[in-house]
Amino acid sequence: MASTACFMIVSRNDIPIYEAEVGTAPKKEDAAHQHQFILHAALDIVQDLAWTTSAMFLKSIDRFNDLVVSVYVTAGHTRLMLLHDSRNDDGIKSFFQEVHELYIKILLNPLYLPGSRITSSHFDTKVRALARKYL
Amino acid sequence: MEPDVSIETSCMIRVAVLPIGSITIPLFRDYTSMLVRHYTVSLSSISSFYTEHQKSPFAHQPWDSGSLRFKFMVGGSPPSPWEDFQSNRKIFAVIGICHCPSSPDLHSVMDQFVTACKSYSSSVVQRCFAFCPGDSQLEDESFKGSNLILFPPADRQTQEFHLQTMMQDIAASLLMEFEKSVLQAESGGTILKTPLDSQASLSSEEVIKAKKRRLGRAQKTIGDYCLLAGSPVDANAHYSTSLELARLTGDFFWYAGAMEGSVCALLIDQMGQRDQVLDDEVKYRYNSVILHYRKSFIQDNAQRVSPLSFELEATLKLARYLCRYSWKELAKEVVDLLTAAADGAKSLIDASDRLILYIEIARLFGTLGYHRKAAFFSRQVAQLYLQQENRLAAISSMQVLAMTTKAYRVQSRASTDHALYQENGQNHADGGKAHHNWIVSLFESQWSSIQMVVLREILLSAVRGGDPLTAWSAAARLLRSYYPLITPAGQNGLASALSNASERLPSGTRCADPALPFIRLHSFPLHSSQQDIVKRNHGRDDWWAGAAPSGPFIYTPFSKGEANQSSKQELIWVVGEAVQVLVELANPCGFDLKVDSIYLSVHSGNFDAFPISVSLPPNSSKVIALAGIPTEVGSLKIPGCIVHCFGVITEHYFKDVDNLLVGAAQGLVLSDPFRCCGSPKLKNVTVPNISVVPPLPLFISRVVGSDGAIILYEGEIREVQISLANAGTVPIEQAHISLSGKNQDSIQSIAYEILKSSLPLKPGAEVRIPVTLKAWQLGLSDLDAAPGKNISGSTGRQLKDGSSPVLLIHYAGPLAYSGDASTNGSVPPGRRLVVPLNICVLQGLSLVKARLLSMEIPAHVGENHSKIQVETSSTEESPRTDRFMKIDPYRGSWGLRFLELELSNPTDVVFEIGVSVNMEDSNDEENPVYDYPKTRIDRDYTARVLIPLEHFKLPVLDGSFLVKESQMNGTISRRSSFSEKSSKAELNASIKNLISRIKVRWQSGRNNSGELNIKDAIQAALQSSMMDVLLPDPLTFGFRCGQNTLQDFAELNLDEESDIQGTRKGSLRAHDMTPIEVLVRNNTKEMIKVSLSITCRDIAGENCVEGDKATVLWAGVLSGVTMEVPPLKEYRHSFSLYFLVPGEYTLLAAAVIDDANEMLRARARAKSCDESIFCRGPPYHIRVDGTM
Repeated sequence: MASTACFMIVSRNDIPIYEAEVGTAPKKEDAAHQHQFILHAALDIVQDLAWTTSAMFLKSIDRFNDLVVSVYVTAGHTRLMLLHDSRNDDGIKSFFQEVHELYIKILLNPLYLPGSRITSSHFDTKVRALARKYL
Repeated sequence: MEPDVSIETSCMIRVAVLPIGSITIPLFRDYTSMLVRHYTVSLSSISSFYTEHQKSPFAHQPWDSGSLRFKFMVGGSPPSPWEDFQSNRKIFAVIGICHCPSSPDLHSVMDQFVTACKSYSSSVVQRCFAFCPGDSQLEDESFKGSNLILFPPADRQTQEFHLQTMMQDIAASLLMEFEKSVLQAESGGTILKTPLDSQASLSSEEVIKAKKRRLGRAQKTIGDYCLLAGSPVDANAHYSTSLELARLTGDFFWYAGAMEGSVCALLIDQMGQRDQVLDDEVKYRYNSVILHYRKSFIQDNAQRVSPLSFELEATLKLARYLCRYSWKELAKEVVDLLTAAADGAKSLIDASDRLILYIEIARLFGTLGYHRKAAFFSRQVAQLYLQQENRLAAISSMQVLAMTTKAYRVQSRASTDHALYQENGQNHADGGKAHHNWIVSLFESQWSSIQMVVLREILLSAVRGGDPLTAWSAAARLLRSYYPLITPAGQNGLASALSNASERLPSGTRCADPALPFIRLHSFPLHSSQQDIVKRNHGRDDWWAGAAPSGPFIYTPFSKGEANQSSKQELIWVVGEAVQVLVELANPCGFDLKVDSIYLSVHSGNFDAFPISVSLPPNSSKVIALAGIPTEVGSLKIPGCIVHCFGVITEHYFKDVDNLLVGAAQGLVLSDPFRCCGSPKLKNVTVPNISVVPPLPLFISRVVGSDGAIILYEGEIREVQISLANAGTVPIEQAHISLSGKNQDSIQSIAYEILKSSLPLKPGAEVRIPVTLKAWQLGLSDLDAAPGKNISGSTGRQLKDGSSPVLLIHYAGPLAYSGDASTNGSVPPGRRLVVPLNICVLQGLSLVKARLLSMEIPAHVGENHSKIQVETSSTEESPRTDRFMKIDPYRGSWGLRFLELELSNPTDVVFEIGVSVNMEDSNDEENPVYDYPKTRIDRDYTARVLIPLEHFKLPVLDGSFLVKESQMNGTISRRSSFSEKSSKAELNASIKNLISRIKVRWQSGRNNSGELNIKDAIQAALQSSMMDVLLPDPLTFGFRCGQNTLQDFAELNLDEESDIQGTRKGSLRAHDMTPIEVLVRNNTKEMIKVSLSITCRDIAGENCVEGDKATVLWAGVLSGVTMEVPPLKEYRHSFSLYFLVPGEYTLLAAAVIDDANEMLRARARAKSCDESIFCRGPPYHIRVDGTM
């Protein structure tokens, strides 16, 4: 598992609808902010890159210092973004695919308003478990 | 590293621009701005200043198309250690700028300039520009030929022209200097070194190496000069040589430098033209530049100096080149370059280099349109500034952060176009999905945690940099937007930050960003019913009609489009009349909020708002009324409130909070500030279009003499005075009263004419209008609800029920605005005054039952029998009137019917009952009214009142019951067929007519009087026997004595009391032949053939004319008298009787009608058509006295 990783789901309207620090590194308030800043900035690159390929998994598209941003874009243009410091493309890809499945399940919930925050604790638990498994 | 580098930087001549003497910064900037405009000077324009001293080394100089480029280093710059490597880093010229009026001594100016120039050893041209010299300074000849150039005072254009000439002169001088430098370099005298070359004593090997390299470096330097001199072809030739030499000697650093120069030369040469081939060439060469810079990295002196900054600069140059033109296709390459550059930041030794790198990266990302990336690197810059721990750096940090706010969507409202923002909010009514998208777009990029970080950093840097307004604004944004994420302690900290900042601000400072409280529009209280404004429908008499929605339907599917339009309600305010708007304030934070003043914000300037001060406890909301007075005619918009809180004045827009609440409802925003304060959910209130109209009249109404409710007993009639006063400043010219509400019929009359006659009503005038009220009957439920004597209880109920009628008074001022003729035909609106009449009805006298009684009193045969025929028109005879109650003995009262009303008085007061019968048609002026003596009914008692119904008989039995009404209308009576159906309708009409003529009035005490509503009861009582009451018999019979007996009779009775007439007059004498006439009157309009028979009975009822014991003899025909009675005429049949025995006798006339028509049959209720119709007259009494 990567020592630092920050996972975030950004809706098509560029609103973060889910965020989780999944790294093993001790949590620091500043770092968490910095991770979000990096992911936020990477959106600009995703925005252009997403239309250049038919693949959903865009691999690592951006980096800052030693942190790499990998992005998975769903058909609905929801972006699953992972900030990590390890290079494990296969694991990340599997992670993204499984989280995508989870996200679809959330979308299927008639009470969930697409584009609003994901507050399901079940989703959170599952995502963290997947992070432990693949990252 | 240097900021703002590009490939073309290599061909720019650096000119230091320095302020000389005392000069204010704005002035210096102003002069500089004139100067920097001349950043290119074309070679063709400088040819006149240029003199070729020797053979120019720039053989291929493009004199017609080329130009020299300048880079003005305003404020100067320190010398760079890399000047030898890149000649363009040298400061070749120094320009001093001096403002003569502020530094009069030109000598000292000159001294200062010379001193300043000393630090620029590389400069070859120095000029000091002195602006606005005085006359004495101009006359001073001592500076002729020196570097001091005076710009005589002139207009801007002239000065700019002068400046241009000077720049051309400088350019020419520089060109000549470059020629010299090139020639010098060619001679190979100088040693070109860079900090990269080892500073330590050179080993022999290195010396040899350096010698080899010298030539290549010299060639590169010459190339640099060629570039600076604007001759790319020459430059390219030298660079090619240099590249070859550097490659041979392995001088990678200079190789890269020469390559950079060659690209620059290529670009200058290709000037303006651009194609794929060129792009590829530039990319290829620059990638090689970057590669060679990287190669030149030597581990030895990595601690001291590194070519890394050149590598990064080259990267940035390439990135800038790529994104200058077609960044769309090349965005990915640029991003890769910039990411690589950002990676290099870690290895940079100098912090300021890192700063410059990040700034440049941010700028380039900005150029690409990657605002979030740009913001990210800007924030890195700001953090680097903040690390410097000084005030100027903090200000820089604050300013850089301010640039990022747009990308992070936390920008201050001062920097956004608010009008646009509001516009966005307008058109969102497209329904469902679009609406949702719109909502979401409002909260796009709600990255709350990073937004908070940015705002906190702005706050920190503003506090450190000493900018209280920015600090206030940042703290306000932080508190307002993210209060749910901030702990109460943090909220308190922000509150104190706000107050600390405001202490440093002058009082009355305005800030574009609102802090607390949250303000939303609660409601616009409509005009009180006293001040309602109604649009005047011009050209109609009832001008108020059409203002209210017409038609019975609230919703019509066809008017959908319009409904949307009209959903925007419109309000009309009147100049000078105070208005109120309710707003709700919320303080969701954990501290006491003191709002120093709050008032409505109106930008149109025609509104005087009244500020008030509010204090909000933690987590509370409050609805307050904000008042104001419109001052001028026009439209008025209330976008929000002006709030003075935490020492700063801010404007709070309702729209913002509305959007916020919508977002909260969708779960997109953290929390709804109103709901977390426990305030109920409110419907979204739209701000209506408010128009202000000129002063209107204003009616104030008051019911004279009663402050509260008017308390009436059931059926009570009372006149109340309603006082109307014009409290406005405009006379009332039109006024109209109409009724509304329940129980409208309880208002019997309104003196409209008094109101009409008082118009126009001047301001301050008052008019009193009498209104006659008649209390309605309490329904069953009312009685149940208000049992017994619980007056106060029932009063409250009555008022709440709103069962009282309402007077609507529509009134308006003059048709045109006074003094303003240009009001394009628009009519000032009118107003509506609603005067609710608070009538409280108490249970009064009640009718227990009504029934019909009949009574038969036989008539006496006497002299007055002729009155039979005029009985129905007896109204002409007034004496009869007062004798109504008495039975006319000559007529008798056969079939007399009484209406008996049983009344009970459940109240605790005494009632007096008076019955009156209106005898004739209502149009008759001299209506005889029969008044019966009053009957008193004590409390809790019942009483009966008898009403004779005799006078209601119609004079004629006609086919049409409506004969009377027809006559009344002056039309010829129509002869309708006497069908059952029409008879019923006509009967009903007649009954109504009859009933309406009977009035039972009551009085109680001095003030209360009224009328009993007994119509239904009477109708019920009369329904069955109506025909008998109403219709006359087809034939009426009467008897009278012959004339001669009358005489005697009169004589005989002389001694009797003359006033007692009825009882004694009818006496006859026995044993006398008494001539008697029977009168048969035909009450129909058709000839009736009858067969008349007369009988006489004695007191025992025995027939005394016929039979064996006959006591009466007769002469003439008594039975089977056939006669034809013409319509409405009477027929007289004479006969004589001879009474043998004195006593009481009864004369009876009866007739069988031959050939009866339908009408008669119907009247007689004949069952079959062949049944003979038998008419019987009433019995007539005859008293026969014995002989005296």
